[in-house]
Amino acid sequence: MLSVLIWLPIITAAFIALLPSNIPANRIRLGALTLAGIVLLWNLFILFKFDINNPGMQLQEYLPWNETLGLSYQLGVDGISILMLILNSLLTWIAIYSSSQQIERPRLFYSLILLVSGGVAGAFLAENLLLFFLFYELELIPFYLLISIWGGQKRAYAGIKFLIYTAVSGALILATFLGIVWLTGSPNFNYDSLSTQALSTVLQITLLLGILIGFGIKIPLIPLHTWLPDAYVEASAPIAILLGGVLAKLGTYGILRFGMELFPQAWSILAPSLAIWGAVSAIYGAVVAIAQKDIKRMVAYSSIGHMGYILLAAAASTSLALVGAVAQMVSHGIILAILFHLVGVVETKVGTRELDKLNGLMSPIRGLPLISGLLVLGGMASAGIPGMTGFIAEFIVFQGSFSVFPIPTLLCVVASGLTAVYFVILLNRTCFGKLDNNLAYYPKVQWYEKMPALILAVLILFLGVQPTWLVRWIEPTTTAVVATIPALEKTVTPQLALK
Amino acid sequence: MVQTPDKPITKLPPSTHEFAEIIHRLEAGGSMLPDTPENLMQIIGIYKAYAVPMDFYWRDLLYIAERVFLNPLPFFKYFLPKEYLERHNHYAGDDADLRIWRGEATAHPELLAFMEKGETFKMPKLFHHLFHDRINMEFAEACMRAMLWHRHMYAPVNQFDAYLDSEEYKANADRAIKAYFQGNPVMLGLYKLFPDMFLEQCRQMSYYANLGLFWEVMAPVFFEMSDIYDEGGFKGVPDAMNFLVNGIFAIAGRPIYHHVYIRGECYEIIPKSKGFTWLYEAALPYVEAVFYRTAPFRGTKSYNAQVGQVPDKQEDFHYGILYADVFPVGTAGIPPTLLMQDMLHFLPSYLVEYYKKHCRGEDDMLIQLGISFQRSMYNVTSAVIQALRTALLYPLDDQNPKHLQANREFFEAQLNRFCRPEYGMRDAARLRQIQRQDYR
Repeated sequence: MLSVLIWLPIITAAFIALLPSNIPANRIRLGALTLAGIVLLWNLFILFKFDINNPGMQLQEYLPWNETLGLSYQLGVDGISILMLILNSLLTWIAIYSSSQQIERPRLFYSLILLVSGGVAGAFLAENLLLFFLFYELELIPFYLLISIWGGQKRAYAGIKFLIYTAVSGALILATFLGIVWLTGSPNFNYDSLSTQALSTVLQITLLLGILIGFGIKIPLIPLHTWLPDAYVEASAPIAILLGGVLAKLGTYGILRFGMELFPQAWSILAPSLAIWGAVSAIYGAVVAIAQKDIKRMVAYSSIGHMGYILLAAAASTSLALVGAVAQMVSHGIILAILFHLVGVVETKVGTRELDKLNGLMSPIRGLPLISGLLVLGGMASAGIPGMTGFIAEFIVFQGSFSVFPIPTLLCVVASGLTAVYFVILLNRTCFGKLDNNLAYYPKVQWYEKMPALILAVLILFLGVQPTWLVRWIEPTTTAVVATIPALEKTVTPQLALK
Repeated sequence: MVQTPDKPITKLPPSTHEFAEIIHRLEAGGSMLPDTPENLMQIIGIYKAYAVPMDFYWRDLLYIAERVFLNPLPFFKYFLPKEYLERHNHYAGDDADLRIWRGEATAHPELLAFMEKGETFKMPKLFHHLFHDRINMEFAEACMRAMLWHRHMYAPVNQFDAYLDSEEYKANADRAIKAYFQGNPVMLGLYKLFPDMFLEQCRQMSYYANLGLFWEVMAPVFFEMSDIYDEGGFKGVPDAMNFLVNGIFAIAGRPIYHHVYIRGECYEIIPKSKGFTWLYEAALPYVEAVFYRTAPFRGTKSYNAQVGQVPDKQEDFHYGILYADVFPVGTAGIPPTLLMQDMLHFLPSYLVEYYKKHCRGEDDMLIQLGISFQRSMYNVTSAVIQALRTALLYPLDDQNPKHLQANREFFEAQLNRFCRPEYGMRDAARLRQIQRQDYR
C-alpha cells in the first residue's frame, strides 16, 4: 500500500525517460501531471485509512532484503510522516503543474521530478536507517541536475554548491547511522530495534551532534545554510517549490525522527542550546531577508527563519510544541510553495525580481492584480497573521515552547515580527506604487498560471480557520514521543512560565 | 506616411525650443499629434466613442441646471425625462440653427439603446442605475466642478464668471430661488438665514448650464467628424484639426445662458441678452480647467499640506488630461476611469479590432482607449491653440517675418506649459509620449 507512493512515481519516471523524443513537451507534462495526481489521490486514500488514535507506526510493510548489511525494506507511517507524505505529493503535483508547457528536455525534467518525489516519499516512509539513507541520497543527483540544467544564470555554481553541501550532509548522516548501529551492537538497521539508552552520555551527544549537523545542513540552520539562497534563487520556480517545500522538511523530519526520538536523553541535555540555535536562526533569517534586494532571495531567507521555529519547538519537546513543529513544517511547505510560485509568475511576466525595479503590480488592468493579491496573502500567512495557517503553526510553537524556553521563544516572536517587516517591504515595493509607463506592457497571466496559487491559497485559509484538520493527525504521535523524553528541562523555569 | 514636412516651411531659422519639432509642425499648420493614419484612426474613433456619452452629458447637465435646480435631495437627477432625450440639439437635424452634424437632433440611437439595455438586459432604469449599468454622469459633474473651482481664469476676457458675482446676477437668482421654494417655509427660512449658501449653489447650476451648452456643440462636432472619416473625408490629422478650428469659429458666437424652468415659467438667471458667447465663456475656460488643470487625483497625489505636492496656486495645477497618467486607470482614486468606462461601450468596431491586436487585447482596452483619448485631446488642444493664433495673431502663410516670429513666440509660450519644472509638471506632460506610436 505504502510502496505505491514510492514506486509508482519512480517507475513512471523510468518510463518517461524511455519515451521517444518526438513527443511534445506538453503531452509529457500532462502525463506526469496525471500520474502525480493519482499518487496524490492514493495518498489521500492512505490518509483516510490512517487511524488517528494510534500513535505508533501504521500500515507497515516488511521485506527482508540484505540481511548481512542489516538492510531491510521496512515501511511505516505515523502522525508525523503522514502529513509530510501528503505535502510531498501535493507539492509534486503543484510543481509539475506550474512548470512551463514548453520546457526544454521535458522527458528528463519530468522523470527527475517524479524520481525525486518517489525518493522523498521513501525517505519519509523508511523504518530502516539504511533504507532511509538510500532514499535520502537518491535526492542528491536529480536535484543537482534540476538546478543546474533548468536554473537561472548562476545555476552551475548553485548546483555544485548544493551538491557538495548535501553530499557532506549525507556522509555525516551515514557515519552517524553506522556509529549508532555498531556502538549499540544492534544486529540490523531497523528503526524499532534500535535503542541508545545503553550508551554513555558523551557518546550519545556525539552521535546526536552528527545527526544535528547532518540534517542541519539540509534544513538548513545557520551557519550551515549558505547553499540555500543560491540553490533556491537559481532554481526555476517548480524546483524551488520542491526544494523549499519538500526537501527542507526531510531535514526537520530527520532531526525529529533520528535525533529526538533516538536520543531522548542527549536531546534533553542539548535542548537549551538547540533552542537558542533555533532562535538565532529565526532572527538571522529575518534580518538578512530585510537586507535583500531580490524578492526570491527574500523568500529564500524567510525559509531559513521559519525553520528556526521548528528547531525551537523540537528543543522544547512538549507535546504542544511538537504538534506545532509538525504543523509548522506543513504550513511552511505550502506557504513557501505559494510564494515561490508567485515570485516565479512575477519574474516571467515582468522580467525582473529586483525590488528597485518592480512596482505597482497591484494595478488592476495593466498590472498583475490577482497575483499581487495572492502575494499579499502569502506574505501575511508567512508573517503569522491570524486566519491563515502560518499563525496557527507559529502560535502552537510559541505556546508549547514558552514554558520551557521563554527567552528563545520571545526571540522567535521578535523574529516573527521581523518577518512581517520584510514582507511589508517586499509587498510595498512590488505590489504598491505606480507602474512605470515605459516598461509596464506585461503579458497577461493565464488562468492555468493562477491555479496552483489559488489552490494553495484556499488551503492556507482553510487550515487557518479550521486548524483541526492540520493538527488532528499529529497529536497522538507527538504525545507518545514526548513521553520518552526526560522531563529534566521542562521544569527549569517554571517561575517564568505564564500561568 | 507623414504628411507634414519635417523642416519648417517658414522663412524663420529653426526653433531652438525643446519641442522644436512640434513647433515647426504647428507653424506648418499641423497638430501637436504626429500625422499618421494610425493616430487619425485612434482620435476619430475616440471622438465617436466620446460623443455618445457626451450626448447624454449635455442633456443631463441642462436638465439639472434647468429643472432639478436647487433640489436639496436630487435623488433622480441622472434620470433624464423623455423631454430632454427628445430635445433638439441646436447643431444637428433639420431644424438646426447651424447644422454641424447631418444626423438626428434627438438623442443618439446608440445612447438610447444603451440606456434601454445597458451591459446587461432590458430592465427599469432604476435597476440599471442601482447595478451601475449606466452612463457615469459623475464625470460630467466633476468637469463642471473643475470649471467652478478654477473661476477667475481669464479675468478680463471672461465676463461670465465676473457676472456671477454681480448684483444683477444675485437679483436674478434671488427671484428664481424664491420661486423654486415657494410654499416651502423650511427652505425659504434657510434661504433667509444663509442666503450665500443658496447663491453659491445657484452659481454651480449656472456652470452646469455653461458646460451643458459647451458640450451641446462638441457632441455633434464629434459625430460629424466620425461620419466624415467613415466617408473617407479626412486625409490626415491636420485635416481633423482644421475641421475643429473651423467649427470653433463657426460656433464662437453662440450664446451662453442659464434659464431655469419652475412650474412652467422661465426664469432667466443669465439671460441670453448679456451676450456671453460660446468661445470665450465656455470653450476657453473649459480647455483651461479640464484639459490643463482640474484637481489632483486622490489616487496619485497627496493633499498633505506639509508635503507640498499640490501647488499653492491654482494656475500651477496640472492634472488635466494633457498631463494625466492613464496607466492607473481602473484603479481607486483615478477619476478619468469614469469616462473611460463610458467610452468603452461606444467604441467603433475598427478601434476594438485595433486594441485587440495590442498589449493585453480586450483586457486592457480601458487603458489603451484612455491613451487614444489623450492623443485626441492633444489634437483638440492643438485646434484651440491654432484658433487662438488665428484670432489673436497672424496667418501661417504671412510673408512678414516679424509676424511669423510673433506666431512662433505664441506657439513656444503654449508649449512652455509642458516644460515647466515646478511640481514635476514637465514629467507629467504627455506631449513627449504621444509622439511615439508605441505609447499605448
